[in-house]
Amino acid sequence: MTLKYIITQLVTLAILGGIMGLVAWVKIPRATPPLDEAEVKRRLAEDFPQTPLDQIWLALDGAGAVARSDDLALLLFRMGDSYVSRSMAWSQALQAQAIKGRFWFRFNDFAAPKASLALAPDWTRAAMGETI
Amino acid sequence: MAAPSAPAIDPVTLAVPFFILAIVLEILLARLGKVKAVYEAKDTATSLLMGFGSGIAGLLTGGVVFAASVWVYKYHLFDIPMSAAWAWLAIFLLEDFTYYWFHRLSHERRFWWAAHVNHHTSQHYNLATALRQTWTGATAGTWALWLPLSLLGFPPAMIAIQKGISLVYQFWIHTEAVRRLPVWVEALFNTPSHHRVHHARNPRYLDSNYAGILIIWDRMFGTFVPEIDEEPCRYGVVKNLGDFNILRVAFHEWVGIFSDLLTAKSLREASGYLFGAPGWSPDGSRQTSTMLKAQWADMQTAEPVKTDPAAAS
Repeated sequence: MTLKYIITQLVTLAILGGIMGLVAWVKIPRATPPLDEAEVKRRLAEDFPQTPLDQIWLALDGAGAVARSDDLALLLFRMGDSYVSRSMAWSQALQAQAIKGRFWFRFNDFAAPKASLALAPDWTRAAMGETI
Repeated sequence: MAAPSAPAIDPVTLAVPFFILAIVLEILLARLGKVKAVYEAKDTATSLLMGFGSGIAGLLTGGVVFAASVWVYKYHLFDIPMSAAWAWLAIFLLEDFTYYWFHRLSHERRFWWAAHVNHHTSQHYNLATALRQTWTGATAGTWALWLPLSLLGFPPAMIAIQKGISLVYQFWIHTEAVRRLPVWVEALFNTPSHHRVHHARNPRYLDSNYAGILIIWDRMFGTFVPEIDEEPCRYGVVKNLGDFNILRVAFHEWVGIFSDLLTAKSLREASGYLFGAPGWSPDGSRQTSTMLKAQWADMQTAEPVKTDPAAAS
């Protein structure tokens, strides 16, 4: 590995850093207004077509939601200016840990190992009380 | 006969200043509202760092790949001169044809998808996304698909240059700033519109438009899908990643394959997990692109036909 190569890589990294700084400065991401039920339904219908939703719980900050579909929990959570969805067993979703105002859901999936949602503090109780 | 040497020019290296300028221009024009482009800071950082890492990975493996090409060239069938115009036309067509099949394989079989998927993990489609390149492409061995060109008699340097030209061409089509080009261009070439479809995860658009430079291969082999204005592309993969960790971007599908292999109960299951379509599972509990497309098609059939009252009157 030559000195020239190392310098080239460092210069490249500096330029990439400059581009990252530019992107952070100009602020041109997608708009991410707080989710409402209609938007959650629309997004989940894209990722889980033909899956009827029994109940939806919106995150307090509007950055995600949990929906129940029979024995499945469908989760929608914000990543940057985009959204990611995953499903898990409803019984497993009820065991989400509440830490500092957020519920932590853990998936058996290396591509998306966990998600946290700012659900209402009594969400678990409310969700357990729901009848289908 | 002189020993084949490394290419005198590397189109990708030469194009790096153009890549940088084009990205900066797209960002600034989008900021000024002149073109459509969306950039999110962490997503862009992930794309750029994946590109940087890919360059290092390429440096580590490029020698082996080029050596293999040189070794096969020792047994070449015809003497094809690099100075002949017809030879450049031939390598252009044959390399692009090879690229089509490489790219199709990289989407339709999980082992090679694992190396390629990272390029599709951004939920954005901009020039920075073009740089979100693989770290494990050489490991997956798809470079072997280009070896027949050496066997035919194309000098390894010529093949390397044409591969570089193809890669440079494919940079500028990663944009939403260009809607449609003239009909003849859209008919012949891979364009931003065609490639947006390729990056989309809408069921209608899955597994389509594998072209490198010429879209004719998709038209010939039945994988061409046009962009429809009524159905905007939703970018990313069917199950998007949960964070911006670049190690996750680079290796998540490999980890998925390894995890599945640990649960395989037979050789059939193991080979299915390795070489089946992405999403394949023994019991069909996961969904492949074919299944998603079929489900989508069923839903289209089931939905009542929408009529335009204005048109009816």
